[in-house]
Amino acid sequence: MSGTANISELAFRLASGQSWAMVRTHFGITAFGVNAYVANEAGIEVVGEHDELGERSGKHEELYFVANGHATFTVNGDEIDAPSGTLVFVRDPAAKRSAVAKEAGTTVVIVGGKPGEAFTPSPWERNAPALAYFATGEYDKAVEEFERIHAEAPDDAGVLYNLACAESMSGKSQQAVGHLARAIKLDASFGELAEKDSDFDAIRSKPGYASAIAGQPDAGGSSS
Amino acid sequence: MSEKAYEVAHIDELDSFPTENEGLVWRPVRRRLGITAFGTNAYTAEAGDERVVEEHHEKDGAEELYFVANGCATFTLGDDEIDAPAGTFVYAEPGTKRGAVATEPKTTVVAFGAKPGVPHEISGWEEIFVAFGHLHNGDEEAGRKAIAKVIADKPDEWRGHFNAACFESLTKNREAAFEHLRRAIELEPKAAEAAREDADFDWLLDDPEFPA
Repeated sequence: MSGTANISELAFRLASGQSWAMVRTHFGITAFGVNAYVANEAGIEVVGEHDELGERSGKHEELYFVANGHATFTVNGDEIDAPSGTLVFVRDPAAKRSAVAKEAGTTVVIVGGKPGEAFTPSPWERNAPALAYFATGEYDKAVEEFERIHAEAPDDAGVLYNLACAESMSGKSQQAVGHLARAIKLDASFGELAEKDSDFDAIRSKPGYASAIAGQPDAGGSSS
Repeated sequence: MSEKAYEVAHIDELDSFPTENEGLVWRPVRRRLGITAFGTNAYTAEAGDERVVEEHHEKDGAEELYFVANGCATFTLGDDEIDAPAGTFVYAEPGTKRGAVATEPKTTVVAFGAKPGVPHEISGWEEIFVAFGHLHNGDEEAGRKAIAKVIADKPDEWRGHFNAACFESLTKNREAAFEHLRRAIELEPKAAEAAREDADFDWLLDDPEFPA
C-alpha cells in the first residue's frame, strides 16, 4: 500500500553501532531492493564489507546514496571520499565494497536489483524481521522468527548462527550450543565470529560450547 | 574491454535539465551511472517553491519510491497531502496519484522505480527528456544527438518520430519537422490529432503542407 515513513521511524539499532531501516520490507516493495543504514558515531562501518556473489547475496548491482553526513567508501581497494549527495554505483557483483562513516549520523540509502531479471529479494533479507526483534531485545520472538526461517532454509549457516545468538540471549543455552555447532560445521568462519560475539557470553561455559567452536562432531545440544 | 566495476558522481555534478513543469529540474542518475536493474533520477529545487515530483500516475505498473534527501517538500499521495522533511520515504503504488512541491530552498528528492515481476526496461521517455532538456539549456546540437539516438534505438516507434518533429519545429526546421511528423502519422494515425493539439507546431499549423 502507498505510504510514507521517515528514516528515523524505521531505523533500529544493531549491535555494530549502525541503525538499519528495512525500507523494502516496510513498504512491501517487490520491484527492487532498498535499505538504509545510519552510523550512530563516526569511525564505524555504515556499509559492511561484502560482495554480491555469496550464497546469501542477491547478485545485485547496487547504488549507494550518501543521504547525510560523510563517508569513505572502499571499492576493490579504491578509496572514495563521499560527502552527502554522493552516488556510488557498484556494477560488478564481484567488487568488494564497504563504507566507513566520517561523521555521526551518516546515512546511506542502498538500492539494488539484478540486471535483465525480475527482482527477487536477497536471501539474507529473510533474516530481517527476526533481526528487528533481536535489536529491540525481544529475543523469544526473534527465536520464533529465526526458527521459521531455519525451517525454510535448514542449511543456511547464517540463519543457524543468528538463531543461536537469539537462543543464547533468551536463555536457551542447550539449543544455542547445538545450532552454533551446526552453523560452524557448515561454515567454519562462524567459529571465529562466535568467539568475539558477546551474544554468546552466556553460553561460553556451557557443555558443548568448546566442542562447537572447535567444529567437533560431538558438540552438544539440539541442531534440528 | 571490460566495464568499470563502479561509478561515482555527486548529485551536483549530474546533468541539470529544467522543464516547463512548474520549475521542475530533472537530474538523470540512472543514465549517468549506467544502472540497468532499476530506474532512478533526482529532482532539485533551488529557490524552494518549485515542483520536485511531477503530478502523475505510473500507468505502466511501476512501483516508485521517493526519498527526500535535502530540504522539505509537500507530497500529494492519492487524496492526502504529506509534509515530507529530509529523511522521508514516500512509496507510491502504480495506481496512486503522486506529486511534490518543495517548501524549502535546495530541496532534493531522489526517485527509484521498477515494475514488479519483470526485468527492468529503460524508459523510452528518458532520452526524449534529455533531448528537450539540452534544447531548453540552449544546446541544440546535444539535443539533436539525443533525439537521433531515440530514433536509432526504436526506428518504428511513432513517439520517437513525433518528438523529433516537435524538436525540429521548435528549432524552426520546417522540412525536418514535416518529415518526422509524416513518419509518425504513418506509424500511428493518432499522431495527426496530437500534432494539431501541440503548441510546438503552432507556427506551422497554417502551412498548406502541414501533414496533420
